[in-house]
Parts: sequence; structure tokens; C-alpha cells
Amino acid sequence: MTDVSMTVNGEERTASVPPETTLLTVLRENFFLTGSKLGCDVGDCGACTVLVDGIPVNACLMLAGQAEGRDIVTIEGLANQDGMHPLQQAFENLASLQCGFCGPGVIISAKALLEENPDPSVDDIRDALSGNLCRCTGYTKMIEAVQDAARIMRGESADEAA
Amino acid sequence: MVMRAFDLVSAETADQAVALLAEHGSEAMILAGGTDMLVDLKHDKHRPAVVVDISRAGDLKGIEITDEGLRIGALVTHTEIMKSPIVQENFPAMVHAAHTIGAVQTRNLGTLGGNLVTCVPSMDSGPTLMALDAEVAVAGPDGRRRMTLDEFFVGPRKTTLKENELLVDILIPKKNVGKPVDFLKFGLRKGQALALVNAASSFWVDWDKNAFVEPRISLGAVAPTVIRVPEAEAYLDGREITPDATAEAARLAVEAAKPISDFRASAEYRRDLIAVLTRRTLENAYDLAKAKR
Repeated sequence: MTDVSMTVNGEERTASVPPETTLLTVLRENFFLTGSKLGCDVGDCGACTVLVDGIPVNACLMLAGQAEGRDIVTIEGLANQDGMHPLQQAFENLASLQCGFCGPGVIISAKALLEENPDPSVDDIRDALSGNLCRCTGYTKMIEAVQDAARIMRGESADEAA
Repeated sequence: MVMRAFDLVSAETADQAVALLAEHGSEAMILAGGTDMLVDLKHDKHRPAVVVDISRAGDLKGIEITDEGLRIGALVTHTEIMKSPIVQENFPAMVHAAHTIGAVQTRNLGTLGGNLVTCVPSMDSGPTLMALDAEVAVAGPDGRRRMTLDEFFVGPRKTTLKENELLVDILIPKKNVGKPVDFLKFGLRKGQALALVNAASSFWVDWDKNAFVEPRISLGAVAPTVIRVPEAEAYLDGREITPDATAEAARLAVEAAKPISDFRASAEYRRDLIAVLTRRTLENAYDLAKAKR
């Protein structure tokens, strides 16, 4: 067993796990943060996307030991007492998810994009979401929601035409 | 998927990693970005007793111009290549090539060194580097050795790297820093797609004669490794830059390649792609040369 400690959504968390445990498994099974999903388990689908030191990565492709001391943000870290994150609110408003399985990964990828680029083009959004597969809703409403959230986060109203 | 049990040790420097490899011998394997390695472990392709995590080895990071040329640490990620001002200024083709790999999340994890060591024939980082005569430095118990990528690549998923050795950095020789080079990939999607064919071309221009100087043509996904096309390079060297010359070079590239048919594309389709991508990379590199003049 190996001891790992990391900051998860602002809290110090520790766990004792076998060395071959992935970051995703620790998040889900030790910290009970089941928002990040296990999809393909090989880095194709993006359902496990989390931020590590602010950068979106596949939590299924990182060992828990490699996350030692790092700052992790999962979907559970976005909403606070004041309400949902603008991205979550926009996804709800536009019904951008049906089954929702890909949603946590998509929203984490979109959050990373908007932190780097507050005014992304449709192509920028498509590029940022290219590692997140959705098999039911499709991407059009997700892209619209990211645009809406970006407008809100820039201090504009969501329905202002771009 | 559950991985078989292994011990995880972390190396903070390249020398530490080499020492750990020496200590554990064939029982040990290196883990960097993990985008290939963890997938292989999950699929039970390797059974290491010890995994040496090098992801925190600072001396394997960094992109810099040295007296020898442009040095890229083996641990540099594809995203770091895309964001590097040095790479953007000297080799926009490398930025483009990095952008065609996987998707955001895998580019944030995956490393240039890992891409080269994994050595799949369709790797997108290979052709541009090979067209720039790039070398790799490998560290082992007896010190370091350098070799060109031609020498490094052996076959599908096979390099000359020995089990006690570590890829340390990639060097584009000084004489080629700023050499006009272009890279193109044809995949079935923009993200998460392997290349059906990829290609890179580079050359200097003798402006008095408007002729090719030191042309290099490199292709991926059309042979057991990324290859150069010496026949086409020899044909172009010193020849005037004309549409006929680039068309003949493209024909020679098709002749030299040995593409296979698989579920992604037929060999015939790949041969058509080789001709198109070779011609276009030559044309684009020429446009770049004119813009830089």
C-alpha cells in the first residue's frame, strides 16, 4: 500500500491505496466523489476529466501516486452555497445533457477553456471538447451552453447575441 | 480495468531513473505521461514488478536553444510544445503536429519522449522531427549516447532503447533551427484519430537558382516506422522548385512507401494520400520559405 495526499476541491485528502490505483479510482472509491465517471478507461472518452493543477487530464490515465501533493478539481468542486457554476446553470437552462454521463467531464473541460480563453469561438470550444465523447445529446447544445456561460462570466447577459 | 500489482518508485532526476533501472533490471519500466503505458498495463501487455515514475524529473523538462540547437526535454508534453514561444517562432509545423495528437486531456499528459519511445508507425510527432534531422539522447549505465531518429526507430513499438536506458531529450541540430518545414496529417476526425498518413517536408532554398537545398521528406503510417524518403530527397536536391519537381517527388514517395491495408484505410487509398500530402507539404514549406525570406 502507498499513502497519497492531495488537495481535492480545496480540502486536504489522504488515502492508503495499492500503488497501481488510478487517480480516478481514489477519487471515486476512497473519497466518494463519484461525479467523475469511469467510461472507456483508456483516455478516449473524457468522462473522467478532472483538473490537476488547473489542467484538464484523464484521471483514468494517472496513478494516484502521480497526483501526490497536487491540486485536484472535480465536478463536485464547482457549485457552492451561492448556487451552481455558470457552466452548470447554462447546461441546465439549455438542456445540454440527456443521460448526463459525459457531463462532468465536458463541464470540467469547458471550465479549463474559459479560464484560459474567456471569449472562445465555436471552433475553440469544439477543440476544447474534442476529448469528451457524448453518445446521446450531441454537441450543439453543449457548445451553446459554453457560449452562454462565457457571456455570463464576462458579465454580459446570456441571451445577448454573440 | 484492474492493473496487476507493482511497486511505484519516483525518480526526481534522469540519473536517479537510470540508477533505479540498473537496480531493478528487466523488472522495471518507466512511466512518464501514462497515456500509452497505463493503457498497456490495463491490457496486461507488460508485467513490471517496479514502475519508475519520472513525471517529476525536472531535468527532463524544458525547451531551450543551446549551442547545439533546439533541445526539448523528453518529458515535455504536447501541450507545452504547442504553447512554447520558441517552437512557435521556429517551427509552426511542430505546433500543428502536436495539436493533431489525441485531444486536450491526452496532450496535457502525453510527452514527446513517450510518443517517440512508444514508436507506433502513425505517431504524429515523428515526421517533422525526422525532416529536421532530429537526434535523441539516451542515458544508460555507461553514460549518454546520441542517435538520429532513423537509428532510434526499429519497428512497430520497437526502438533501439535498451531496458536499462532512458530517453533524455530531443535535439534539432543548430543548422536546422528555423529551417522551413511543414507537417500534414490525414485522419478521419480532428480529435482522437490516428493518422491514415502523415507527412513532413523541409528544405532550404537557393534563391539565386530557386532550387531545393537539403530537402527532407518524411512519412508516417506507411511503413513499420516513420521513414525518410531518400529517393525523393536525392531527386529534389539542387533541382529548381517547380510544380513538376514536387509532383515527381510525390510519385517517388509513393513508390518508396509500403503502406498496408487495415480497417482504417486500404493501401491504395494511403498511396493516394502519400502523393497529396507530400506535394502539399513541399508547397507549404516553400510558402513558408518565401515568407521568411
